[in-house]
Amino acid sequence: MGGLALAGSMNANAIPIYARQTGQACVTCHLGGMYPQLTSYGRLFKLTGYTMGTRPNLTDLEVQKDAPPISVWLQAGRGFTNKNNAASQPGDTQNIQAISLFSGGKITDNIGGFLQWTGGNTGGGYNFTVDNSEIRYADRNLNNGNDLIYGVYVNNHPTVSDVWNNTANWNVILMGFYNANAAAQTPQPFLDQYGPGQSEGIGAYLYKDTTWYAEAGVYKSFTHGIATTDLTAGSGSVFIDPSPYYRLAYSKDIGAHSFEVGMHGMISYAHNGSWGTTVNTYRDTALDAQYQYNLDPHYIGAHARFLHESSSFAGDQVGTTAANGSNYLNEAWLDVSYVYQAKYGGTLTYRNITGSNDLTLNALNTTTGSPNWQAWIPEIFWTPWQNLRLGFQYTVYTQMAGATSVIPGQTLKPSDFNTSAFYVSFIY
Amino acid sequence: MKRYQALLTLTALSVTLGACSNLERSRDLSNPQVSGNTLAQQVCSTCHGGTHMSANGNSINPTYPNLAGQQAEYLQTELQEFHDQTRKDKMAKDYMWGLSSRLTTEQMKSIAEYYAHQKPLPNPNQSNPALVAAGQKLFAEGVSDKGVPACASCHGANAEGNGPIPRLAGQHANYLYKQLMIFNSDAGRENHPEALERPHGAAMENISHGLDDLQKHQVAAYLQSLR
Repeated sequence: MGGLALAGSMNANAIPIYARQTGQACVTCHLGGMYPQLTSYGRLFKLTGYTMGTRPNLTDLEVQKDAPPISVWLQAGRGFTNKNNAASQPGDTQNIQAISLFSGGKITDNIGGFLQWTGGNTGGGYNFTVDNSEIRYADRNLNNGNDLIYGVYVNNHPTVSDVWNNTANWNVILMGFYNANAAAQTPQPFLDQYGPGQSEGIGAYLYKDTTWYAEAGVYKSFTHGIATTDLTAGSGSVFIDPSPYYRLAYSKDIGAHSFEVGMHGMISYAHNGSWGTTVNTYRDTALDAQYQYNLDPHYIGAHARFLHESSSFAGDQVGTTAANGSNYLNEAWLDVSYVYQAKYGGTLTYRNITGSNDLTLNALNTTTGSPNWQAWIPEIFWTPWQNLRLGFQYTVYTQMAGATSVIPGQTLKPSDFNTSAFYVSFIY
Repeated sequence: MKRYQALLTLTALSVTLGACSNLERSRDLSNPQVSGNTLAQQVCSTCHGGTHMSANGNSINPTYPNLAGQQAEYLQTELQEFHDQTRKDKMAKDYMWGLSSRLTTEQMKSIAEYYAHQKPLPNPNQSNPALVAAGQKLFAEGVSDKGVPACASCHGANAEGNGPIPRLAGQHANYLYKQLMIFNSDAGRENHPEALERPHGAAMENISHGLDDLQKHQVAAYLQSLR
């Protein structure tokens, strides 16, 4: 009986806040345990406002055997770049370290939250800041054969609200390692560049018959408040006038298969550098699709995303923010992952960027200013138990700044940046 | 700017109003006030089939068993086993232990009654006809030289179940096969009842042990095809 009691307490406590709230294992909400990929059930858990389950009794934790609604996530690893480079380029080894704290979950029958704080070297120095965070109000009306989920949210950057893992914020790649150091010069669509805290948004959504999904939100940077400069320090200063975000999707489950096709996008009115600068406009429009197979012992997830961005720059910004008055950028993203018994798995990701040349925006190639870039990212991982994941990820750059061999103006070729990374991810 | 502030106010207002408890549509698994019907619709339906996804209790993904038309007594027994953590197979632990841990007996009874009264639909998953034909024979006759009685003798001629004996007709073959494997692994543990993964399925242990792997697939395919 002692063994049984131990097993019981492990099940209830050895897993983070939502798992404690529902008492369920990671695989319930995360496909084959591959967080952050959500299952159909995980999507409904989020869209119903994180309210399913039991709220911990904070005043009586000891008596009720409730765990406090706090989780911790540790990531550590070491990366090795193909070639040791000059100071402004990646060194031959880098350490990867991050720690996140989570809280949130069920607050009332209709309100719940997802709150994350992350510490690490965010590029602007070592700090501990607010990461993905949102509070939702949601309701689900089930009457006379109708099923309507609807809700509103407040969150701290666009796409935090998404449930199909087809935006930069919730990509299947756990370690965004290919973005490290010099590779961060990779041109990214503006929608992918939003970091937590640069803007705050509100939005509303509907999910009809677990089939049709529509969402609209609006984001804006704060003009006043405490420590706004601190919040934006890590990821460069961009200030947003009210900017609309939207998402539409059609989804369908057939047996163990789950399908989604949709589109999302945003029109961002951005002051680059400070509020005083005139406004640049970025129009991002993406088509996206997801396929999942969810039946133990096999789990498959696949995503495709094609994003087009057209940007236009104010007259006085030409020559500072960008060399051209207008630019475009196309992003193609494909990934497929498989995991057996929620333990042994792998992921292959392909990402391709093409766009208009701009010597100011894309300074790596000093001859053409090309943003064209392409990489393959194979990864294998092992999850010996659901809280621990060990992985090896290799990033192969086949094109960088429009070049497939030595980049004009540099002494390096794309393959010099190829990176191997070992990582450990522990979440409790 | 004004419009943005108005939107913020609206959000704040709806958030404040929502703070009241909402018993009719609650997803709270530790509030005895919430009815079994509400929990079935707001929580159980997420996996076991909801209003639109299909009729209530007819699940889409074979990970989750169909509950529509299931015997109420069987359902209540299983919920109690999840609640007491005596049903110990992996899926029970991963999916059901936590959800059921704070349900009251009354709630579990009412959830069981709710699903017993839902209409079972034909299983949309196709069964292999060759497996079905062999499975039908196993179901009707058993395997006498292995001591496996006819399934129909307990589960009913149409696999409709009876009280504590579950309905199997139209159940997902994948789910049925996995359960047979659990009973199979329980065989031989009779002297260690605490180690049994499905203690209430004791009658099934030797039966499933007497079926080889192909036969398990055959009988599961046949049951899935039953209307």
